[in-house]
Amino acid sequence: MRLINTLRKHKVPYLFILPFFILFSIFQLYPIVWTVWVSLTKWNGIKQPVFIGLNNYNLLLNDYMFTDAFFNTVVYWVTGVIFIIILSLGIASLLNYNNLKGKGFFKVVTFLPNVSAAIAIGIIFSMLFDKNIGIINEVISLFGINKIGWLTTVKYSKIPVIILNIWRNTPWFTLIILSGLLNIPEEYYEAARIDGANKIQQFFKITLPNLTDILFFCFIILTVNSWKIFNESYILKGPSTSNMSLFQYMYQSGFTAFKMGYASAIGVVLIIILAIVSVVQFILMRKNSEI
Amino acid sequence: MKKFFSLLLVCSILLSSFVIVFSNVNTVASASSNKYPEGTIEIYGYGQPQYFLKYYRPWLERNRDIAPKVSIDIVQTEGAADVREKLTMSYVAGAYDDLPDAFYIDPVNLVNLADGGLVQDVTDFVSSLTDKLVDNAANDATINGSIYALPESVRPQMLYYNQKIFNEYNIDPERMNTIEGYIEVGRELKEKSNGKVYLSYIDPGSRTWRYYGRRGLMPQAKAKIWDDNGYPIIDTDPGARLAFEALDTMYSEGLLLKTAIFQPALYDAVNNGEIATFYIGAFWDEFLRKNCTETLGDWRVMPAPVFKSINLRGAPVSQYIAIVDKPNAVYSGLIKKMWYDFTFDIEHKEKWVRSMVRLDAPYANPISVEMLKDEFWEEPSIFYGGQSFRKMEKIALRNGAPNLVVTAQDAEADIIISNELEKYVAGVQTIDEAIKAMGENLRNKIGKVEVIK
Repeated sequence: MRLINTLRKHKVPYLFILPFFILFSIFQLYPIVWTVWVSLTKWNGIKQPVFIGLNNYNLLLNDYMFTDAFFNTVVYWVTGVIFIIILSLGIASLLNYNNLKGKGFFKVVTFLPNVSAAIAIGIIFSMLFDKNIGIINEVISLFGINKIGWLTTVKYSKIPVIILNIWRNTPWFTLIILSGLLNIPEEYYEAARIDGANKIQQFFKITLPNLTDILFFCFIILTVNSWKIFNESYILKGPSTSNMSLFQYMYQSGFTAFKMGYASAIGVVLIIILAIVSVVQFILMRKNSEI
Repeated sequence: MKKFFSLLLVCSILLSSFVIVFSNVNTVASASSNKYPEGTIEIYGYGQPQYFLKYYRPWLERNRDIAPKVSIDIVQTEGAADVREKLTMSYVAGAYDDLPDAFYIDPVNLVNLADGGLVQDVTDFVSSLTDKLVDNAANDATINGSIYALPESVRPQMLYYNQKIFNEYNIDPERMNTIEGYIEVGRELKEKSNGKVYLSYIDPGSRTWRYYGRRGLMPQAKAKIWDDNGYPIIDTDPGARLAFEALDTMYSEGLLLKTAIFQPALYDAVNNGEIATFYIGAFWDEFLRKNCTETLGDWRVMPAPVFKSINLRGAPVSQYIAIVDKPNAVYSGLIKKMWYDFTFDIEHKEKWVRSMVRLDAPYANPISVEMLKDEFWEEPSIFYGGQSFRKMEKIALRNGAPNLVVTAQDAEADIIISNELEKYVAGVQTIDEAIKAMGENLRNKIGKVEVIK
């Protein structure tokens, strides 16, 4: 009764948000529920699914390919968050420098990697990292270093993926951080300079605190994107599962091995991971805001 | 009033009769005209399927009497698995209008599509023609006694060798008639060239299993992945061990250049005279001709080497074109007609092949026994220094090994096996460890499969 009264009293705002929830239910909630159901089946995508309970999850827990893909993705996540945010912050700070000449040109150039076709860039990177004819090995050979099988050895195969991921995503986050920098009042810096603060002190005392919310946003987006990394590891495929991402393994399970149930189980695990990470992030964000 | 209603009734009866007669006339006319409706035949293909259009489009022009406003389009996909993915997704979604009319496919993926009812049964059509086709042309498309695809090509495993290199180091290519001799030649090449010349290549990815394993050494070694009851035995099967140990010998002794196939680095190595041979399917011809023009006239081909103790040549690799079993599949008959002429029409097939040669484009020997008798299929090949590649392709099919048994789970099995082989190539594990892991992972992840007879 109380709910009904509330709905009657505030029916207008509820009606305005109703379309979103209808679309959410159709295109997100239902697929998630359906995915959970499929994850409990054995299904090749064509014949009728056969209910097998939690067998897919049991199999998943004992599957070294899943484990490898999971830890690879963790590596991509951690390296992505660290390097992309640091690089983005550094580049954005440089672009925001008042005395920078040709600022517009540098902004455009900085953003180019983000608008390049992923597949095309991947092909170029695979040539760059080729052991026999890649330019990277040619360069390091000049310094007396033996050629490295970047994409043919388990030890190094994640490195090209990490570099490509950083290279492609840094521009976008640079843009976001730059917009945050532009919103910091110049008066803060003037006051700091009057008080004798140097550039480094200004950065840590003024810039960073004012970018906290922006950086948290970047962290959240990067986390979600990292757990969904696919193109980079798909194109720069290394030996076996040495640099395979979890999303890529899900794709392979579903559309190469045609084990839809198993792929759905991986998908459910991904959803759970993202949900947990997101909740933790929001809790930390809330605590930080309270401080 | 009575007169009015009587007149109305008479008119109604007359009008109904007219409509019925007119409809019958149209029906009879439609049935007797036998013309295919306006539209586009859509076919999914992979590799370089666009070159088939140079046959199919002229064919449609020649057959406007039955297909006056029909066109054709071939959609390039990434591979057989991609074809299967697209078909599956459209089928599951009920988007039958998005399904193509036909698609090129391999045996591994055809099994599942046939089992799921996505392809038409063409047994009656093909079985009446089997005596006109090369041996085993429809074998890999035959599932539980029914044929589910039209055979498009049957190509053998072959051995390509650079005669110029063999002349330089004074090595007789005939020694490569056996795999044991092939390995000995590799050792000699390595020694005489001070390590510059490799016997062949090894791909760090999944293509090692595809070309050296499933399509290559495994069938020739009479290897088995599954026993007759469907249980994995790849780790205990003597044939599998023979095949993998042959590969291990070549790789561990440094006879194989580790580089991805179909990539510039490999072509550079070939053009620089660093790779002496290729143990691979006949399809490699088109890639060699197109990408290694600096070696024009240097290469020769011979049938795949045999294991001494088994004496079987390379297993044939068949490609098929399957017709989609979908509602309102109006072009099924037309596709069969196109396939029939592509297979048996000597004049236009040769014309198409000549255009492919001019373009350095892919083509395969015909699967028609009668067509193969024509001397056209023994013409010398410029790229092979005057040797007739077509003739050698025909010869290489003799005494071919049976292909590995294909099951509904072989797509997944290929992933599992290839993963272990990739780790072996990467130096992470020995061949023994790889073989053992293959068996364990097949049992853990797949268990028992249904062996299709």
